[in-house]
Amino acid sequence: MNVNASLGTAAVAIGFAASAVGVVTLGVGLRRRQEKLLRLGRTYALVALVGVVASFVVMERALLGHDFSLEYVAEHGNRAVPTMYTFASLWGALEGSIILWTLILCAYTVAVTVRFRERVVDPLVAWATLTMLAVSTFFFALMLGPANPFQAVAGRIPLDGPGPNPLLQDHPLMAIHPPFLYLGYVGFTVPFAFCIAALVTGRVGEGWLATTRRWTLLSWGFLTVGIVLGAWWSYEVLGWGGFWAWDPVENASFLPWLTGTAYIHSVMVQERRGMLRVWNLSLLLATFSLTILGTFLTRSGVLDSVHSFTQSAIGAWLLSFFGLVVGVSLGLIAWRGDRLRSPGRVDSPVSREGAFLANNVLFAAFAFVVLLGTVFPLIYEALKGDPVTVGRPYFDRMTMPIGLALLFLMAVAPVLPWRKASHEVLRHRLLWPAWAGAAGLVLAVVVGARGLAPLVAFGLGGFAAGSACRQLVLAARAARRSGMSPFGAVVGRANGGMIVHLGVIIVAVAFTSATAFSHGDEVRLREGETATVAGHTVTYLGTEREETARKTTVKARLRLDGGQVFAPALNRYPNATQTIGTPSVDVGLRRDVYLTFVEAPKQPGGSVVIGVLVEPLVSWLWIGGLIMAIGTLLALVPGRRRLPTAPVSEQPVTGQVPDDELVTA
Amino acid sequence: MNEAVASRARPRTALWVAIAIGVAIALLVTVLATRDPASSRLVRSPLVGRTAPDMDAPTINDAGRFSLSDQRGKWLLVNFFATWCVPCQQEHDDLVRFAAAHTGAGDAAVVSVVFSDETSDVRKFFARRGGDWPVVADENGTYATAWGVARVPESYLVAPSGLVVGKITGGVKFAFLQAQLARFEAGR
Repeated sequence: MNVNASLGTAAVAIGFAASAVGVVTLGVGLRRRQEKLLRLGRTYALVALVGVVASFVVMERALLGHDFSLEYVAEHGNRAVPTMYTFASLWGALEGSIILWTLILCAYTVAVTVRFRERVVDPLVAWATLTMLAVSTFFFALMLGPANPFQAVAGRIPLDGPGPNPLLQDHPLMAIHPPFLYLGYVGFTVPFAFCIAALVTGRVGEGWLATTRRWTLLSWGFLTVGIVLGAWWSYEVLGWGGFWAWDPVENASFLPWLTGTAYIHSVMVQERRGMLRVWNLSLLLATFSLTILGTFLTRSGVLDSVHSFTQSAIGAWLLSFFGLVVGVSLGLIAWRGDRLRSPGRVDSPVSREGAFLANNVLFAAFAFVVLLGTVFPLIYEALKGDPVTVGRPYFDRMTMPIGLALLFLMAVAPVLPWRKASHEVLRHRLLWPAWAGAAGLVLAVVVGARGLAPLVAFGLGGFAAGSACRQLVLAARAARRSGMSPFGAVVGRANGGMIVHLGVIIVAVAFTSATAFSHGDEVRLREGETATVAGHTVTYLGTEREETARKTTVKARLRLDGGQVFAPALNRYPNATQTIGTPSVDVGLRRDVYLTFVEAPKQPGGSVVIGVLVEPLVSWLWIGGLIMAIGTLLALVPGRRRLPTAPVSEQPVTGQVPDDELVTA
Repeated sequence: MNEAVASRARPRTALWVAIAIGVAIALLVTVLATRDPASSRLVRSPLVGRTAPDMDAPTINDAGRFSLSDQRGKWLLVNFFATWCVPCQQEHDDLVRFAAAHTGAGDAAVVSVVFSDETSDVRKFFARRGGDWPVVADENGTYATAWGVARVPESYLVAPSGLVVGKITGGVKFAFLQAQLARFEAGR
């Protein structure tokens, strides 16, 4: 009799039943227009949440209590692993990660039912709840079927397990990066559900947009943080000095981010001008579909990836679900789409809506390029029978021009008025952003940056930063004029958005500099020897050995530039045959010096090989990510009532289009 | 009135675009659904159809000297592997099963070639995980180069005639090996 297996399976079964019955109840309620049934939706969502919380607790109890009678614990647990990593190993492998996914999904579902409790009988809300419950039914079914986390061990119960993958028990970021990613990934289910609801009910006015705006933004923010943390983890742990490798798993998280970003921009055109309705719906449907496709690609084993999960039958389930989601979405669009199209047109390409349109074309192209690169090996092999690898060069070459074009738009779009811009307005408003761009370019050349693409990136970065700062300064002035605190200048969607833009620019500049100008070498050193690599002197002081039950660590003590001592390490885990390196980094705002221990001494006192990599501005990637997160939070705070003279103004409630900045500026 | 005119005049773009995207995605799903997992893939190799490059070396697991030419008359699976490679660890149980299934009949055998790894690690690996077929060290990567091994695990199926009939990348599966064997037997 296995307590944890029974309790866990029961909890999952309760969650599954609650979701499935909830779907049926809401369906019947909607069909028969019985308000009594619609009111039950929240109860079912709550019971499903209780079920998944219980299964989460049981799994943690099994992991922390080292109950090796559960297969998941036997395969991923280990007595010597520190508690934090044992706790985090719940989401370190396939089956457990589905628990976390479902937990977040059910929490979002309950949050939706609580937030909209006043409108529970509104068919729009009921359909949205139904959609969310249907999605959680699927994930509960996964846990009952191909990805059962509570499978008991067949045969003898082991006394200890191998522990999580060594790469996953080396850095605290591993514990927090996946939850953020999932909060973002799963959060897109909310706008997706409202999208489906709007299409089914035919209520595709701007109402559902306003309803889901903050949910989308919140998910987008979580996903952004998750991606940046993932890049940081890979920099701190993997030891090759990079942070982004266009690996299928990275692409899987990046694809919904791209379509989500496109949506956040284009939705403003719909709110303001009523255009692009079908496009916006499609973007949200695509974002959700891409999260499922990404989950399939990373968990089915069809692609080789450094983080691929073990294979199981889950692939077929996820692919079928992807097909279902896409089928339903496209069917609804085909059915309703032509009725929603607005007669409005973009008056001039040189206008705010024109810029948003260009932005969307670029983001869609970006997503297509990344998707194509990710699945191309599979398509090619199906057609030709040969394996082919699509690597970094493809992604770098294809995405670089798109990235530069996006930077350019980021500079120009915020100053463009709606409808049409005159030359004088453009000249006036772009004047000092252009100076900022020139300053960025000159500064880059002065500090020694060379090469066309990086210099263009730095120039455009300065240009875009100037434009974002101009908006913030104008907002601050407007706040002061109207006697509000300067805090008012940074909250609200437009101003928070400009802060996010600043974060993106910082990330773009750091990305460019860390990839284009990183340099270094490997050097063989004997004890006491000093070498100069990439402008830094490294003295090898000797090795230190630490042995614990969990791992054996050999550290190379290195004095960098005659000052601080760093100790990159090589770890050997008894249950894994590969050696895992841990880099040691001298972090700085101007540059990081990234030290790796490449080769341990063959005999005591022998020589070692040390890798030294200098990466300019790489820390700013994480700072930029933090600024993006702060900007998103500020954008979530309701802005003040905007004056028509504010640099960016929303359509007033009366529906009358206010005088544009054009007139008042 | 206006509304009716507008809707009649309006083209059905959304419908057609949705259908086009639907077809494209259906094709993608078909491709994805019919892919084998990244393991066990039969791929092209210039070696297929040629005589297997010779291999004559001492084994590191007390199986005596291994010579490929002695293996004529039965199927041979030449498996390049390393203990540090995760798919290699995963395929090992399937290899053990495959070897055991054919020991009695003597119609097929396995030989493993070490790919940049320590001999001591390999011995421990086999002691812990089973497998008693010959394991050949490949000190300077001579065999890996001769066979065209790019990354492990890679396996080659050599027919009783001594011809290489298939190259498999990724970890092998027992069922897959059996199926290939049956297929080549039938085709001969």
